[in-house]
Amino acid sequence: MLNIVRKMEGDKAGFALEGRLDSVTSPELEAELRASLDGVRDLTLDCEKLEYISSAGLRVLLSAQKVMNVQGKMTVRHVSQAIMEIFEVTGFSNILTIE
Amino acid sequence: MSVIKLSGRIDSNNSSRIEAGILEQLALTDEPGTKAVELDAGELEYISSAGLRVLLRIRKTHPDMVIRNVSTEVYDILEMTGFTEMIKVEKAYRVVSIKGCEEIGRGANGTIYRIDEDNVVKVYNNADALEDIQHEREVAKLALILGIPTAISYDVVRVGDSYGSVFELLNARSFSKILSTEPEKMDWCVKEYVGLLKKIHGTVVPAGKLPDMKETALSWAGFLRDYLPQEAGAKLVRLVEEIPHDNHMIHGDYHTKNVELQNDEVLLIDMDTLSVGHPVFELAFMFNSFIGYSEFDHEIIKKFQGFDSETGATFWRKSLAAYLGTDCQTKIREVEDKARILGYTRMIRRAIRKNGLSTESGRAEIEFWKRELLELLEKTDTLLFSFNELDIEAVAENLAEVQSFVDGILESIGCPPKARMNIDVAVEEIFINIASYAYAPEKGKATVRVEVSEDPVTVTITFVDHGVPYDPLAKKDPDIGLPADERVIGGLGVFMTKKMVDDMSYLYDTGRNILTLRKKL
Repeated sequence: MLNIVRKMEGDKAGFALEGRLDSVTSPELEAELRASLDGVRDLTLDCEKLEYISSAGLRVLLSAQKVMNVQGKMTVRHVSQAIMEIFEVTGFSNILTIE
Repeated sequence: MSVIKLSGRIDSNNSSRIEAGILEQLALTDEPGTKAVELDAGELEYISSAGLRVLLRIRKTHPDMVIRNVSTEVYDILEMTGFTEMIKVEKAYRVVSIKGCEEIGRGANGTIYRIDEDNVVKVYNNADALEDIQHEREVAKLALILGIPTAISYDVVRVGDSYGSVFELLNARSFSKILSTEPEKMDWCVKEYVGLLKKIHGTVVPAGKLPDMKETALSWAGFLRDYLPQEAGAKLVRLVEEIPHDNHMIHGDYHTKNVELQNDEVLLIDMDTLSVGHPVFELAFMFNSFIGYSEFDHEIIKKFQGFDSETGATFWRKSLAAYLGTDCQTKIREVEDKARILGYTRMIRRAIRKNGLSTESGRAEIEFWKRELLELLEKTDTLLFSFNELDIEAVAENLAEVQSFVDGILESIGCPPKARMNIDVAVEEIFINIASYAYAPEKGKATVRVEVSEDPVTVTITFVDHGVPYDPLAKKDPDIGLPADERVIGGLGVFMTKKMVDDMSYLYDTGRNILTLRKKL
């Protein structure tokens, strides 16, 4: 189960993620991002309520990061310790801007 | 047979006179070669050792001696002196009326009424129930000694033309009553009900003490064989035959009217069906109680349990989930289907034996159950099930099912949340790999087995599939030091799995990919 709450404001986009970002739910986030990122220069992903992430979720984050490297910037916020550990072992902690 | 009345007191003052009187009467009434005599002790108040010696002497010529109608006081003397072991002694039965008493339970062999605030009586259907009563008392004693909380009857009484056994049951309410009147207590009931069930199934019974449910089930299957298509009938018998002997206790009629809450204690009653056997038998009877019997006619359950069929079905599913320790629907359905096979077998046999085939409604019901049974037999290869192994179609949509199955076991061993998430990630990566590549473009099954070992607590998860050989360990690790733009999208799954667990191994054996993950908690 993944809940995505989207907030668009000019060229800023915020996505609050709630639940699990896994092989089954990641395509939902991917589709949402693809549909929203046009013209966005500042993307924020709020992970406060994100409980779980697997390689399928990381894949979506990496694609978004690649897009945002061209368009502007991407920030990941409120990352739990457990998810932070996954970012660390996969080198994502160096790729993502984590607040 | 001669019947001789004993009355008043028999002691050394009058014993020789009474003996002479008895011998005189026997000489008159005995038929040639007779060995039996019945002594009616209804009016006997006391008997001393001199009187007991009289009885022994009479027994020499009449070895089939019975003493009936014995008062409690005299019975105590006979019991203390060991006479009840040598001579058949029957107590005088107190007479109890159930007029206006509340019915609190009904089972296969009798009905339970509350006779006063502290006591209930179970009135047996069978008019000649003394042996049943004796049996139930013996098995209840056995269960109590083995640690199962139950009530043991302390008296046998006459209720009209039937026999009854009396139990102490104070302020007790059955779980059926609680579910009917306080539906918000459903989850509490499930927890207690399953807790007691696990206790019963965890109890080892010494050999020969209780009947073997497998024998009974075999006789049902044998009976039903004649009413099923040849192949299906043979399969049913084979499936039951293949259930191994099991010396663990099963109650045999474990529904919510037989579980009572007395003060704060949960008690098991109606012990006459106590047996040993594989838990699938118990689950079959439970399925029948909550769903099976009322599956064709939903109104039936209300009369029997006091709650409606929806409550029954919810309670059953929740109980089965709690019993199996999982929310994984695939697992729950798998076990339910096995229980249903035995459940339908029992119900169809019962209906046929009650002449169900001679009425239209009976035939409709039997046909309904038979259709279900045949469909289940078609897709079932064993009635055995395990708590730690899941067979599931390897498709991505089943990921949540697999994870919930693994999580159920992790939860039962108190796995910390972080380790649980790591294991969940590893399980996902491997399962999704199988789902994506093992059988593509076809579909196939995967087996997931979870084992826990001690010292230190270690979880071992094994995945087996029959797809194309694939060794994930042969894959090169990605370079995780690269900046985002140079990193390839994907290819992280196996690498992450390795990082999430302590050990990962792969084996290809006789057409099977066997992948094992090990993590210390």
